[in-house]
This record gives sequence, C-alpha cells and structure tokens, in this order.
Amino acid sequence: MRSNKNGISNLYLVLVFAVLYAPIFYLMYYSFNSGGTMHGFEGFTLDYYREVVQDTRLMIIMINTLVIALLSSAIATLIAIIGALAIQRIRSRRAKNTLLSLNNVLIVSPDVIIGASFLILFTIAGIKLGFVSVLLSHVAFSVPIAVLMILPHLQDMSPTLTDAARDLGASRRDVLTKVILPIIKPGIFSGFFMALTYSLDDFAVTFFVTGNGYSTLSVEIYSRARQGVSLSINALSTLIFLFTILLVVGYYFLNRRKQRPAVHIAEPAAEVGVPR
Amino acid sequence: MKQLVNAFLAILIVAFGLMFLASRLNSAEGYTGGNTLTIYNWGDYIEPELLKQFEEETGITVIYQTFDSNEAMLTKVEQGGTTFDVVVPSDYAIAKMREEKLLLPLDHSKIPNLANIDPQFMDLSFDPGNLYSVPYFWGTVGIIYNPEMTEGIDFSSWDSLWDSRLNNNIFLVDGAREVMGMALNSLHYSVNDRNEDHLQEALAKLNKLSPNVKAIVGDEVKMLLANEEAAVGIVWSGDASEIMDENDKLDYVVPEEGSNKWFDNMVIPRTAANVEGAHKFIDFMLRPDVAAKNAEYVGYSTPNVPGLALLPEDISGDTRFYPPAEITDRLEVYDNLGKRMLAHYNELFLKFKMNKK
Repeated sequence: MRSNKNGISNLYLVLVFAVLYAPIFYLMYYSFNSGGTMHGFEGFTLDYYREVVQDTRLMIIMINTLVIALLSSAIATLIAIIGALAIQRIRSRRAKNTLLSLNNVLIVSPDVIIGASFLILFTIAGIKLGFVSVLLSHVAFSVPIAVLMILPHLQDMSPTLTDAARDLGASRRDVLTKVILPIIKPGIFSGFFMALTYSLDDFAVTFFVTGNGYSTLSVEIYSRARQGVSLSINALSTLIFLFTILLVVGYYFLNRRKQRPAVHIAEPAAEVGVPR
Repeated sequence: MKQLVNAFLAILIVAFGLMFLASRLNSAEGYTGGNTLTIYNWGDYIEPELLKQFEEETGITVIYQTFDSNEAMLTKVEQGGTTFDVVVPSDYAIAKMREEKLLLPLDHSKIPNLANIDPQFMDLSFDPGNLYSVPYFWGTVGIIYNPEMTEGIDFSSWDSLWDSRLNNNIFLVDGAREVMGMALNSLHYSVNDRNEDHLQEALAKLNKLSPNVKAIVGDEVKMLLANEEAAVGIVWSGDASEIMDENDKLDYVVPEEGSNKWFDNMVIPRTAANVEGAHKFIDFMLRPDVAAKNAEYVGYSTPNVPGLALLPEDISGDTRFYPPAEITDRLEVYDNLGKRMLAHYNELFLKFKMNKK
C-alpha cells in the first residue's frame, strides 16, 4: 500500500517536472536545427551558436546583463542586510509588521508600474537612461526580495547568542561580524542568488529604463522576437539556461559547505527559492 | 564573515572584469567617443550593411536601437532621458509628435537628395511642406487572399468580401481606421469621411459582413494567414509581403475603389544631440543606390524614384506593391480627424465588433 502511494506521488513529480522542463528542452533541441525553423528537425548544426558568438553587439549586451545582475544583487544584498537588521531591532510589533508589509507590497506590485515610475523618476531627476538607471532600478527591486530571504534567519537566531557574546566581552562590531553575520550567512547567499535571477530575467522594469544604446538581454530578445523567433535566440537561451544551472549548482555547493559548521538553524521553507 | 567578504570581493572583481571587457569591446566597435548618431527604428527595418557603409563614409558611429510600436516609441521620446537623433515613426504618430512639439524642423538645404522622392509622397496632410519629415517607406491597405481557397473570386473590388462563399473565412485587422476606412471605400466614400450618414451607412454595411468575418486580430494575423487558417485577410502591404514570403500561395491586391496609403518617415526629435549627423544620415538614406539596397532588403515599397529604377524588374514591376497611377490616385492618407471624430470612429468600430456574434 505504502509503496503504491509512493509510486503515484513519484509519477506526479515526474509529470510536473516534465511539464516544467519540456518547453526548455524543446527549445534547446531546435537550437541545433539546420532547417532554420521550429518545426521539423533537419540536421545538426552549430551555426546559430556561431552567430551568437560572432555578434559583438549581442555579446556586449550579454556582458551588460551579467554585470548588472552581479553588481545590483551584491549592492541589494548589502542594503538588505542592514535593512533586515534594522527591522529586527524594532521592538514595536506594529511598526515591524507595517515595515514588513511595505516590503512585501514592493515584491507583489506589478513590474510594469515599478518600471514606469522609475522612468518618470529618472527623467525628472535628470539621470540619463543607461547603465546607472538600470543598475539603480535593479537594486531597488532586488532589496525587498533579499530582505525577505535574510529576515527569517535573523528571527530564528536565539537572542541569547548575542547576549552571551556581549557578556563575554565582545564589542558591538564583534557581535555583528563574529556572531550575527555568520549565522545569517545562508540567508545572505540565498538573498543574493534570488536577486541575481530576478535581475537576469527582468524585462518589464528594464524595458522602461534602458536607453542610449544600453540594453539588456531580456529587452533585446523581446525586440528581436517580434520579427519571428530566429533560432539564434534559441541558441542564446540555451546558453543562458546553462549559465543559470551553473549558478544553481554553485549555490548548492556553497550551501552544503555552510551547513557543516554546527550552528543549528532551522532552514526556513522560503529558502528553497528556485529561480522564476 | 571571511567567507562573506571573500564572496563579495569575488563578485566585485568578476563584475568589474566584465565591465572592462565590455568597454574594450565597445571601443573596438567604436561605440564610444563624441561622434555618434543614435537611430531609433522599427525592428529589422534597415539593411545592416548600410549602417556600416554610412560609418565608413562619414566617420560617424551609429548606435542603433529598435522599437516595435509607434506608441512605445512615443513614450520613450516624450519622456526624454535618452536622446535619439533620427526616429522613424508612422504618419499619424508624426502628426501627434508635431502637435506636441517633439520635432525639429528639417533644414532642406542639407538634404539635397530629397529631390529623389516621388512628389506624390511629399507635402501630405500629416506634415504639409515636409517641414519635419522625409519619407522612408510607404505602403497600402489591401486584401491578401489564398486563390486555392477562394474558388476564383476576383478581389479587385472591396465588395467581393461580402460574397457569401467567404462565410467565416476573413481576418480583419484590429484597427478602427482600417476597418471603417474599408467600409467607407466600398461605398465610394473617402477614408476620412466625417459625414454622419455616410458613417452610419458604412456601419450597416460592415454589420452585413459579420458572417464572413472569422476573427478580428492583431499582429498574429501574419502567422494565421501563413498557416492558412482563413482564406482572406485585410492587412497592410508590409505585412502582406512578409506573409507572402512565408507562404507563396497567397496573393495581395489593392481594391479599385481606393484605400489608405501609409508612410513611415524619418524625423529628428527635438532632443537630438547630433543634428548635423542626423541630416547627413537622412540624406544618405535618400541616395538612390542606398534606397534601392534598403528596399531590396526590407521588402517594403520605396518612395525613391531613381532608387526604384535601380531595383530588379520583378520588384519594381510588382503592381501589388508599386500600383499603377490609376490606383495610387485613389489612395488616401489618413487625416488627423481630431479627438472627437476619432472617438466616434472607434465607437462605431466597437459597435460592429459587439454585433458580431
């Protein structure tokens, strides 16, 4: 009976993953099609990959995207650490909940609206659209996500730990760097990686704030796709997919290494954040 | 803590390394420095070789950006923030940009090649005297049909669409001006008619078309027609040429009663940084050899007379895209009807859409 039940749930899992991954593999499969269309596989070719690599403009855009993703999530994580510490400090339950809800509102509010308001803000502030505007807006929408990832770790941390450290003569700085930060490290990393994936694939916000020849992949792919999806887009998507897998694997190993120190923290469910 | 700091430093190093790489690539491509020209055009709407040729001839580096609708383009240009030197909007968008004072007047003395443009495409209602705009491509609204599915119906008149054999077999494009214009044309009225009786007559006639209309669709009409989901579609000639590239069974015709002709024109926005270069670029695009090469690549109709002469006979002689004078004489540009009249057109079109079961 039990094994039967397991069988069904396994089957269900396999089905769910098949549905999730089928379109991606379908797309990857056709990126090798010499026929040039998405129907009918004619023969194996690497032409589209060559096309992608030889397209300097596309390469620059790809590098831009990575730079923005790395920088914005690093900065956002820094800000989020400070923010989470501050929220944790607040004694009044009401004020804390209000701040948390405000944080959540930013996560659920539609990207299009955030993007449009950034466009207006930047033009009023006289900031030229380009690298800076994209970076700033990516930092802005990544902060709430990172906060949400870090906060549970802070909340799970026993207050006695910091008290004990202080009793043993640790300075404020030591408490922060030697006790709090190591304990919330898993949260910091998951915050960083979540921010990274958000930044990599964000279209709606970025669309509004790109300009002056500066563009990111999502925006570029969208404007190319309007002409009918060329297989070089498939090739590009395959490359990005592989890159994301690398990120996830890297994150997995980082997490495993961190697990070894005997600090017992209940892993919050939210941490199993898989990229959108 | 150490691990955190190390990770952070590693991220910064990678990021700045990549930035350095990007700037190297940028300068290798010549995207830096003051002498640049930013062009904002429709996706895939220029022969890429021409941009290189322009860069070589003038030493100006071109930054090329694309948009996918007049509305998206308008938002970006209106907001400022990014400076475009040359933009290629459609006729009605030019009228709007002119009204909102977003455009710089052109210096015609710097565009000698303007003389190459066919006079019938100059001095049109959306920009009298071509003070702000120069034609880039033009086209028509017409009927695309699949001869294998239409039993030899002759589509040279709009009235053929009302043929009962076409039951549930027509795609209409989702545009009030296009559909109302077609109905008005079929009654031998102007596409810009403001007479209420004529408009009601057109609506009544459209309602009779309902049984034949399969769907009123947007951009996906290209895919649907290429896949033979229906026999007939009302489309712009630019779309028609793309559909016919994909499915060569189809044919396109501009009905005799007349139709709309549309334009994509080059303009210089008010915020342009390199006005001198923008004029050079516009003049360059109007050169006969350049216009011909571009038209061959893009596949739309060029308004450039000597350029047209340079095109191979099977393109320039194609009366579907370069219709003879007796048809072009009947083509009309959409006038700016004003907000109220436009709203009325939209309302009538909406009524038609709601009547359709």
